[in-house]
Amino acid sequence: MLKRERIRGLRRKLLGSTLAGWQKRIGFAFVLPTILYFLMVYFYPLFQSIRLSFYEGGMGRPERFVGLKPYEMVFTDLFFWQTVRNTLYFVILSVPMTVTLALGVALLLNRIINHRFRDILSATYFMPLVISLVAAALIWGWIYQPIYGLANFILSFFGIKPQKWLSSISQVIPSLATINIWLRVGFDTVIFLAALQSIPEKLQEAAKIDGARDSQVFRYVTLPLLNNQIIMVLIIELIFAFKVFDQVFVTTEGGPANASRVIMMYLYDSAFKWFKFGEASVVAVFIFTSLLAISVIQWVFLRKTAY
Amino acid sequence: MEKQHDSYLRIKRKFISWILTALVVSGAVLMLMPFIWMFLTSLKRPEEILRVPLTFLPDRLFNLQNYFEIFKRQPFHLYLWNTFFVSGVSTITSLIFSSMAGYGFAKFNFPGKEFWFFSIICILMVPFQAIVIPLYQWVVQFGLINTYIGLMIPHFISAFGVFLMREAIANIPNDYIDAARIDGSSEIGIFFRIILPMVKPSLAALAIIKFLWTWNEFFWPLVITNSEEMKVITLGLASFNTMYYIEHNLATAGAMVSIVPILILYLAFQRWMVKAVVMSGVKG
Repeated sequence: MLKRERIRGLRRKLLGSTLAGWQKRIGFAFVLPTILYFLMVYFYPLFQSIRLSFYEGGMGRPERFVGLKPYEMVFTDLFFWQTVRNTLYFVILSVPMTVTLALGVALLLNRIINHRFRDILSATYFMPLVISLVAAALIWGWIYQPIYGLANFILSFFGIKPQKWLSSISQVIPSLATINIWLRVGFDTVIFLAALQSIPEKLQEAAKIDGARDSQVFRYVTLPLLNNQIIMVLIIELIFAFKVFDQVFVTTEGGPANASRVIMMYLYDSAFKWFKFGEASVVAVFIFTSLLAISVIQWVFLRKTAY
Repeated sequence: MEKQHDSYLRIKRKFISWILTALVVSGAVLMLMPFIWMFLTSLKRPEEILRVPLTFLPDRLFNLQNYFEIFKRQPFHLYLWNTFFVSGVSTITSLIFSSMAGYGFAKFNFPGKEFWFFSIICILMVPFQAIVIPLYQWVVQFGLINTYIGLMIPHFISAFGVFLMREAIANIPNDYIDAARIDGSSEIGIFFRIILPMVKPSLAALAIIKFLWTWNEFFWPLVITNSEEMKVITLGLASFNTMYYIEHNLATAGAMVSIVPILILYLAFQRWMVKAVVMSGVKG
């Protein structure tokens, strides 16, 4: 018996040592297809994007190195800055609202004791997340229809005059932001709800026994414990909203009078409408670095707040 | 006196709690409203949707005319098939290669391991639009415009999948693998017979999320296809809106057709799907 064990141990040892070099190759073989794929389909194009941003030319036209000229073209283009402004306006209208609403919904859901009921409700809030942005845009385009749409019909009950929604210069971004809130609120709710349920009830009860009012319990006990989730969700929503494209493309195509032209549409148009790959790449680099900056900020924040 | 005050408080509390529940339920109804409205509109005749003031219910509840009409107007069945094919194949390739890479990163040592893993994680931070132009040039160069391969190129392997599978596989005790090796299993055999069956939940999560993403993808197909036969469902839907006059009864029917498979999936695997979407959203 003992002998057998020893033989087995010896065998394992021997096999292990002979396998060391062999194992390295096996391990590498498992990851090699993936590495090659990402090099070809992600890293090379990313590098190319940066390179192209110093070149002129597009489909059929020869590429020519022009230095910083595409940057100059884009950054002196007032139209570009208008798309940046539109995008930021969209972000500011949709992100804080989404996160606040989600926090409210999560707090309300957290109070519900019946698990089944709570699950059904949170699944309902989550539903818009599984459909395509294009389908969502189509539905909302119809809801916002100025004459026959549901939105104006509902407003009429409150005695509010029909609005022009997506075809009004001043209302188009708020209307698009509303779609975005509808799309995203469930995602944040699920994250907040999970966080809320992991908070031991004892903490809140202890505060209540000490005489804290509900609002105080929320402000001084619950909210600080959600700090990390709030920052995380804010960043995710910020990135998502910054990249908005599908909904705008389908509903307004940037109109009316470019009031809803967002930065991704500028990229799309300069690349695939006018085939100015240099300038489009500048926008790509701009978007990439902006989002990278946001991610770095998130990283710094989360490190600071974690304990 | 004291007792009366207590019961008053209790009633007040109950009332507030009731109000708060009603609030969150009506919020949920509000969230459902666009879905319901889409469904109802898809059952209406063209003249029905142009009523002022509007009527909620369609005149005939089972009027499926719009659904027949969209398949007549556009090759919608083709769009559905294309979307299904592209999503299905890229889901399968993602499952295979992401779990292979996850296994390699989790259970082996080779030079440059950390570097490569970190690089792949970094991909999660790169917005697709940052690489779309060179990728497009690349696809044009190889004549892959309007092909399935072209449509699937950015979807074959998922970086999120590599991350997910590595986490899952790292949790498997090494003893299982060592034991199988001593029993003389081949490395491929270990992967398929030991590793994969133990990470089924993660594989399912990855399959769901990958299928969902590819099904709903719009930007890349928009760039890469221009022929009717290669369109995917999102492009078919968008084409309702590029016309001068939008036939909302047809557009909503089209949207229903594109959403229903996903909603069935959602109702069946609701918990998993929520988890998968949240996970990928947090990491991606």
